[in-house]
Amino acid sequence: MQQIKIDFVKLLKGYKHGWVGISPDFKKVLVWGKTLDEATQKARAIKEKIYYFPAGESYSNFVGILYYGNNNRL
Amino acid sequence: MGIIIDYSPLPGFEKTGVLAPMIPVTFRNREQEFSTIALVDSGAEGGIISTVIADKLNIKWRKIPAKRGFSVGSNFLFHPVDINAIVYDHNFSLKINVVEGIFAFKCILGRKDLFKRAKICFEGYKNQFEVIFREFN
Repeated sequence: MQQIKIDFVKLLKGYKHGWVGISPDFKKVLVWGKTLDEATQKARAIKEKIYYFPAGESYSNFVGILYYGNNNRL
Repeated sequence: MGIIIDYSPLPGFEKTGVLAPMIPVTFRNREQEFSTIALVDSGAEGGIISTVIADKLNIKWRKIPAKRGFSVGSNFLFHPVDINAIVYDHNFSLKINVVEGIFAFKCILGRKDLFKRAKICFEGYKNQFEVIFREFN
């Protein structure tokens, strides 16, 4: 049984904006660019598959969180 | 054979305990490919991508008539388009909705695409989910 983990907190640490290209084992960032175009340009020299994800975004709109503070999530 | 994926921690939510079920996906539109990591959303009727991702796939979404959709937060305009997706070597066609005015990274797979192709078992008590693809002849 294959099991994977993608820890965006570790991966995106130190990246405040732009787009990152993540390695296929989801362990490290291989490329970074101010824009997605810049990141994909830099990735052309890399043979590995790269998964692109933005850095420094507000992800609350992604996961739809109901949060009342004091760690009391609904 | 299934794949077990741990729920993903996201920056900014370390203290909240909020984790997200995320899955790697490669979209293919003719010769153009784009790989990213999508949210697996059982509440989403269909998959969506942002216009930034659509542009990277060379999807001429502006030429596709817009339709109006709605979500918990707001209404939105979207442009449905047929493309291919590859998730863990499983290649399938799907109708993805290019949504205007959303965050650049937004990519969601929902009930009409991923959930039609695989059995997905959320195990919140383990902070993980399992994806078991259906076998097609």
